[in-house]
Amino acid sequence: MPPTESAFGLELEIDPAITVPGLDGGGGDGGGVEPTAVHLDPNEVERRWAPQAAQARRMRELTAGEETLLSVDLAESAGYLLDAVGVGRVLVSLDGRELLCDPDPAEPDWAFILAAQALPLAATLRGFEVLHASGVVMAGGAVLFAGEPGAGKSSLAAALLRSGAALLGDDAIALSGRDGEPIAYPGTGSLYLRAAEDDRLSDAERARLGPTSTFAGRRRVAVVPAPAAALAALFLLERAERGPQLEPLERVDPFELLAATFNLSVRTPERLVRQLDLVGSLAEGGRIHRLRILPGGDATASAAAVEAYMAAAAQ
Amino acid sequence: MTSPSDQSLLTSRARLPQHVVHRGFVAETVVLNLRTGKYHGLNPTAGKMLDALEVAPTVEAAIPGLAAEFGVGADQIQADILVLCRGLLERGLIEIEDASD
Repeated sequence: MPPTESAFGLELEIDPAITVPGLDGGGGDGGGVEPTAVHLDPNEVERRWAPQAAQARRMRELTAGEETLLSVDLAESAGYLLDAVGVGRVLVSLDGRELLCDPDPAEPDWAFILAAQALPLAATLRGFEVLHASGVVMAGGAVLFAGEPGAGKSSLAAALLRSGAALLGDDAIALSGRDGEPIAYPGTGSLYLRAAEDDRLSDAERARLGPTSTFAGRRRVAVVPAPAAALAALFLLERAERGPQLEPLERVDPFELLAATFNLSVRTPERLVRQLDLVGSLAEGGRIHRLRILPGGDATASAAAVEAYMAAAAQ
Repeated sequence: MTSPSDQSLLTSRARLPQHVVHRGFVAETVVLNLRTGKYHGLNPTAGKMLDALEVAPTVEAAIPGLAAEFGVGADQIQADILVLCRGLLERGLIEIEDASD
């Protein structure tokens, strides 16, 4: 049996033939659920999907102009087929307990699609709600940052990591509403930096982050993921002419929270109700805050402002 | 489907079908149609009207309480609640039943 890892609240049994950076021997500490198995098996993907393809429904499509970059199709008897063009396909069973991989031979780093898309999809099918957010653990509580692509989520997480926080994830964070208290679960032990962010770091700052490598064309920092933690705060990032500015949000727009959820492909009634309930519990708990930041601004200053804000809130 | 007249709407009961759920937030009520997977937003006034419609035996029975709560005339509430009911009906978010059922 493959060794067990954990990410997005899932206990994972990953085929030894698959290397997912950040899921390479750290051991599991997931949500206490039955494992999800990840296998490398292109033939089985084809055997299960091909007869169903004609009846499949397209649940999601990501395009650039006329070109499809990523699609998710659903066939009730086979599962969700996630197809990242030029990267590979992953067939995720309807219950999220099995992922079958069919990588594109031309893409050696194909496995990034597991952490970026397939595992969050499986987590959603297993009953978690995944936020499109970065997150760290500070003073024992999970602090998340949601916002549009390019809003500065990863940069902020990196800056907080440099000052001693532990990383939950840089793009997707799984949440469960166990006992009505949202719990945040870490993704893989990876922080991906854009070239501009990486270039801004001094050697000392880079050393504080952890060992780096290049994976799938991006600078990857290997980190020890934080343990799961109760949600202390969710900051909704907004670009502004001045920043950083922080304030509690008393009147949370539920649609802004719904827009921050990660997975658009799973539209079963159970999931939709769960999604709405989680948004309700987030909005009720007084944990939502607005963080206005200057686009391209200094993430270190924003991180310091968040630290001061959280410290003041704790008093 | 023929749109019901104002009078028949007022004397009917508005009911949320099983495939519709809603949750109240501070500034908005979110109504979710599980068949379409679509979320709809209602402002606080419309949210209060939906709450009232859920428990009232008929649409018109909901009007006096709402008029008192909002401090406006029953005619105004009637006009507004009819617009709301038609909008909800159009989106499959309520069903209309004969009040005697």
